[in-house]
Amino acid sequence: MKVPTEALRSKARQIRATCIQMAHDGKEGHLSSALSPVDILVALYWNWLHITPTKAPGRDRFLLSKGHGCASLYAILAEKGVFPLSVLATYNQENSALPNHPCVHALPVLETSSGSLGHGLGIATGMVYGMRLKQDPGRVVVLLGDGECNEGSVWESAMFAAAHGMDRLLGIVDYNGIQAVGRSDEIMGHTRLEDKFRSFGWSARAIDGSNMDEIVSALSEVPFETGKPTAIVAHTRAGVSFMNDDVLWHYRKPTDEELRQALQELDVQSIYVGSPHA
Amino acid sequence: MRRAFANGLEQLADADDRVVFLTGDLGFQVFDAFVAKHGRRYVNVGIAEAQMVAAAAGLALEGFRPFVYSIASFMTARPFEQFRFCVAYPKLPVIAVGAGGGYTYGPSGVSHHAPDDLALMSLLPNMTVVAPGDPHEVSALLPQLLQLDSPSYMRIGKFGEPPLDVPAPVVLGKARLLRTGERVAILTTGNMAAHALDACRHLAAAQIHPSVYHFHTVKPLDTTTLDHLARSVEALLIVEESSPMGGLGAEVLKYIRGADSGPRVLRLGPPDAFALGSYRQETLQQRWGYDAPAIDRACRCLWNNTQTTLGSS
Repeated sequence: MKVPTEALRSKARQIRATCIQMAHDGKEGHLSSALSPVDILVALYWNWLHITPTKAPGRDRFLLSKGHGCASLYAILAEKGVFPLSVLATYNQENSALPNHPCVHALPVLETSSGSLGHGLGIATGMVYGMRLKQDPGRVVVLLGDGECNEGSVWESAMFAAAHGMDRLLGIVDYNGIQAVGRSDEIMGHTRLEDKFRSFGWSARAIDGSNMDEIVSALSEVPFETGKPTAIVAHTRAGVSFMNDDVLWHYRKPTDEELRQALQELDVQSIYVGSPHA
Repeated sequence: MRRAFANGLEQLADADDRVVFLTGDLGFQVFDAFVAKHGRRYVNVGIAEAQMVAAAAGLALEGFRPFVYSIASFMTARPFEQFRFCVAYPKLPVIAVGAGGGYTYGPSGVSHHAPDDLALMSLLPNMTVVAPGDPHEVSALLPQLLQLDSPSYMRIGKFGEPPLDVPAPVVLGKARLLRTGERVAILTTGNMAAHALDACRHLAAAQIHPSVYHFHTVKPLDTTTLDHLARSVEALLIVEESSPMGGLGAEVLKYIRGADSGPRVLRLGPPDAFALGSYRQETLQQRWGYDAPAIDRACRCLWNNTQTTLGSS
């Protein structure tokens, strides 16, 4: 199942273009939150996770704990054929399968709903505990935001996972440096999350989360240590020059001109037929 | 009730591999037999209620029937968001058990009081909420909760409550007729059933015979029984050790008052206030006027159709 890194990079550009088109058409912000984890998600879905839409035993489970970044997950699921590409045009519409925070009632292929922060890791630890009891060999991956790691519940879960030696649990922090009203480093102090996870009993590593080679290499070494949960603190960027490292793009909906510029820079079109006009 | 819970849990786990028990570091020696038999299905999560409930959600997603257990105040208010978002919203069959509901832990102070557990859990769509009145009701309700494909909360008290000693079956969702009577019906939930029966023994000497209906199930509300009572009695006396907002009293009042006509309704129970002063449970019940003597007084007034002056003597 290994896909060449260059192909993953190309896929990531396409998914980014799709997210921007979705934010433009659906008039929904949280665009930088969707763009920053794209490289990680592409590497996971094309190169690492064993996922089955029918939730078969033995599959890997993926939980998008930072639910507000869901446009990227939706685009990936569509590209993977889980639902038709045209459904992406319903993003953020009323009664859509693709609301702006994922809902398992709307899209049952998801393992969980998300949108409220600090829950994915705890749910994942319960899944891992249960999978052990029933001898299901799957792995569980949780994607968290760096802002989400402000939540105390994340650290309750981190302690639990380490106490139970959950080495089939992988937590990836999308460290884009941005949260709702400022920079995460300034709000919670200039601290290194990988050190925090290590001190909680995890095996942790920081990587450049926008560098596909580093992502693929880190994933190939999971679990980093037998008997410990793995944390990858991925320092990420939006991946479009004028959206990188800017709190504004946590909210802003792209205008027609910004959409055109972004697609031009990425040099690729959305995977579904979007509208050039908002 | 705690012994009944521990025994009932053990029996359920014997028969059903899906039962997993998570505790928030509570129940010293209470679950030793369970641990001895089902060690892998016993998890002390530590003093981390939010994590306990989120992990229970994960277990339920994997097909298990997790029980979570702590002191009622820490079981409900603290991880409320986890119940709302991780459990109730996806409608997962997690069974929460709060020990020491109401003012069981009176002397321990406001931190340990749980007059609001029933109201909080009742707020959540998909939730079933029960407050058994004696150990037998705990034992009888547990397997019925396990049958649900949705979440539930059970308030239990302490150790050693006497049995109500009533033959009527315990059916989830159905008020239990503890004592037949006429004209006035006492509606109880949780630990108030014993007080009501106590009061009735004194009232009988005065030829006053209220019926007693025990609402061990607070949600869903047994409106069939309420409809019947609305047509057949002159007065309802609700007795609860629960916040005046959102518990049995509030729900019954809302339901009965919605009708054009019906019986007079009174509610005995704690006010909307923190119980300061580290009083014992019995003292609070006496001071706030919902112990057996207070029920006795209220029934006499309702029976004689006089204006009641409720509260402590």
